[in-house]
Amino acid sequence: MANSRALPRVLDLDQVRTQTLTNGLRIRVMPERSAPTLSYYTFFQVGSRNERLGTTGISHLFEHMMFNGAAKYGPKEFDRVLEARGGHSNAYTSNDVTAYYEDFAPEALETVLDLESDRMRSLRLTSESLEQEREVVKEERRLRTENSIFGLMEEQLEALVFLAHPYRWPVIGWMDDIERITRDDCEAFFRTYYAPNNAAVYVVGDVDPDETMGLVARYYGDIAPGPRPASVAQGEPPQRGERRAAVRYPAQAPALLVGWRGPAGRSADSAALDVLQACLAVGESSRLRRRLVQEEEVAVSISIGWGWRIDPGIFLAFAELAPGTAPERAERLLWDEIDKVATRGVSAGEVKRAQALLRSSVLHELATHHGVAHALGQAEALIGDWREAGRALEHYASVGVADLKRVAREYLDPARRCVVVLEPEVRR
Amino acid sequence: MNAPIALPPIRRTALPNGLQVIVARRPGVPLAAVRLVLRGGSSLDPARRSGLAHLVALAARRGTRRHTGTEIDLAVESLGAELGTGVDEDATYAGLSAPVEALPRCLDILAEVATAPTFPVSEVKRLQRREVAALAHDLDEPSLVADRAMLSATYGDHPYGHAPEGRVRDLSDTRRADVAAFHARQYRPAAGILVVVGNVEAEEVLRMVRRRYGAWDGEGGAAPPLRAPAPPETLVVVVDKPDVTQSQVRIASPGFPRSSPDYVPGIVASAVLGGGFTSRLMEAIRVNRGLSYGVRSRFATSGAGGVFVVSTFTKVETTSEIVQVALDETARFCDGGPTAEELERTQSYLCGLFPLSLETHDQLAEKLADLALYELGDEEITLFRDRVRAVTPEACREAGRRYFPLERRVVVAVGPAKSIAPSLERFGPVKVVPARKMV
Repeated sequence: MANSRALPRVLDLDQVRTQTLTNGLRIRVMPERSAPTLSYYTFFQVGSRNERLGTTGISHLFEHMMFNGAAKYGPKEFDRVLEARGGHSNAYTSNDVTAYYEDFAPEALETVLDLESDRMRSLRLTSESLEQEREVVKEERRLRTENSIFGLMEEQLEALVFLAHPYRWPVIGWMDDIERITRDDCEAFFRTYYAPNNAAVYVVGDVDPDETMGLVARYYGDIAPGPRPASVAQGEPPQRGERRAAVRYPAQAPALLVGWRGPAGRSADSAALDVLQACLAVGESSRLRRRLVQEEEVAVSISIGWGWRIDPGIFLAFAELAPGTAPERAERLLWDEIDKVATRGVSAGEVKRAQALLRSSVLHELATHHGVAHALGQAEALIGDWREAGRALEHYASVGVADLKRVAREYLDPARRCVVVLEPEVRR
Repeated sequence: MNAPIALPPIRRTALPNGLQVIVARRPGVPLAAVRLVLRGGSSLDPARRSGLAHLVALAARRGTRRHTGTEIDLAVESLGAELGTGVDEDATYAGLSAPVEALPRCLDILAEVATAPTFPVSEVKRLQRREVAALAHDLDEPSLVADRAMLSATYGDHPYGHAPEGRVRDLSDTRRADVAAFHARQYRPAAGILVVVGNVEAEEVLRMVRRRYGAWDGEGGAAPPLRAPAPPETLVVVVDKPDVTQSQVRIASPGFPRSSPDYVPGIVASAVLGGGFTSRLMEAIRVNRGLSYGVRSRFATSGAGGVFVVSTFTKVETTSEIVQVALDETARFCDGGPTAEELERTQSYLCGLFPLSLETHDQLAEKLADLALYELGDEEITLFRDRVRAVTPEACREAGRRYFPLERRVVVAVGPAKSIAPSLERFGPVKVVPARKMV
């Protein structure tokens, strides 16, 4: 086991300056001068977990609306102005957050502040742009869900793992709900969730921190705060037995998707599950790749998805099976491998290998201004503290063999699993 | 945004056996990126052996004179690295990125995999089975099917006309002897380029490289240069997938090779038409009509030729509409060229984006390897912004007229043929192909 005190610091958190404006906006600035670029992230504390049935998908649809014009910069201007200054932008919506970014050269900072504060202050929501974005989002849903095998299966899995929690519905929303969302829904959504007291700004790169702090405060200071968002229902009942679903689709080969409800991101067990994920399915020498892909040849690929969330999220395993393979056979092998970890644990060498792989992946993530800005924002939005962005390696280093056995037994219990099987349908 | 792009100190040399070595010293994260590139990729697949170069790249790591494949996996991953091997149409790649102190071990492993693989027959057969099975999954991804159909329709029987992953029948027929013979022919030091980027001392890296790669020899000479691809006849290919609710669309025309003087005006013209969020295609298709979530155009450039492609997707009902809008926008661009404002914005966008493509050690290693592969100079990087800024509206329009899909073009649509084929007839003779024929 590595000694956490001996680890080199991957992120110099002492460099981060912070401030909260009187309207509630949180600002974090980190000067880092290795490259002449800046990354600017805005995190809004809203995602599909804040939605209700009937208007699922509004967080994501709203993300699209944010690019359609505000009081100063009208329709089609946001990206034009930014691109003309050599910058580019994009955004994403998850179950928990909506994040926007711009990457650009330092001299364009004021342009970005003007663009971003303009849309937070005075977004224009027109019926025309709503109708157009609705069609775009429907195409996105057709792309990622309805014509994607993983998308079809994931939607079923989420509805199995969660009975009551809003993680039950897809981030993009149900098709019928996308159709129903009105301009008034968007107006109310904007007032509550896009107010400065529900947002945080991260600036990382080649800047003077004091001057930047002053600029951000000047551009955003006059925006009025909004109402406090409603709390999110947490009444997920315990699972007392396996849950299953089948997806029939004219596919060439079967597939298997399994999920378990894990801990919340802020739990110490989340880092242990990252290490377990690496032992099970990162790299050719991971347990599941060796057994299911190389030795038994039931799967073409196998991967594990474990993303930290505000509330307990899904630890999932996805296997693309070889054509003609009986999914039950792949399932038995998967259960057997998980049972081995839960009863016998893994070797110290496997933990070391997993920690080495995780270390490289953290270093890769923090190698760019964009990666650092995102890591700070994500840590604050999901765990409540941006400092956590620099602590991942310490957490991984403190995970031991016994922890892995315990988390495998606790979270990957057969009575708590949910299974979705893709059954290829023969077309007549 | 207008500052010149500076490269870190780069040491280039060649070993007596012909291996080119490139070492770039750069501070930053304590990782080193290592990349071994061999000239020759899937365009060297022999007749009825498509997928062979790809299979060789995968099989080389499955056992060497000193280690089994499993031992290699464990050795690499215990360093905190993942070894990736693969091919494109022009080259074979093996690369990893590991903590800088593990560099000697990484160079050992790459040397073994490239120079001393044993191709155990059980492992070759297993990989063949896995790759054939993977093609079944590819067939369930409409966008992959569309890309395959586009390559084959645009390049025809040229060696660029098949996907590197090959076809089911060819992969199944391949024998271990084919794999070993391809390796013996193509994995030669004189065809190799080894790139190391990180906080490393060039002379020390060179010493390590000489010790490990100095004795590598390989018979045979370079493969003869590829002929330039012939332009395709205008054609509409409908790949029939009866159950999808969204069509994947590609519109392609002949482009240019990577070394062409039209490269920079071409990428500027393509960016105005279909790059970024403010391009003409994005505005016409997504912003004004809500026909798609995404549309983009690009020049794919290779050693012996290239292709210009517009890629998009839309619900089945609007398949022909999206093709029409894309072709109309393309024609409008070729007519009038870019406006001054559009050109300037696009130039700023491309110049601003460029440094972000050199940020990590892996990215720089890849760029340096590509320069060597296509025999281009550092000024491709250092003068990139000046060259982009120098493109005139006329040069942009000229690049569009010469290469964009006007008269000669291939339209590919993957979707339910019964619903979409009739409406696509106005774009050229329609050929309907069942999806399973694509692998």
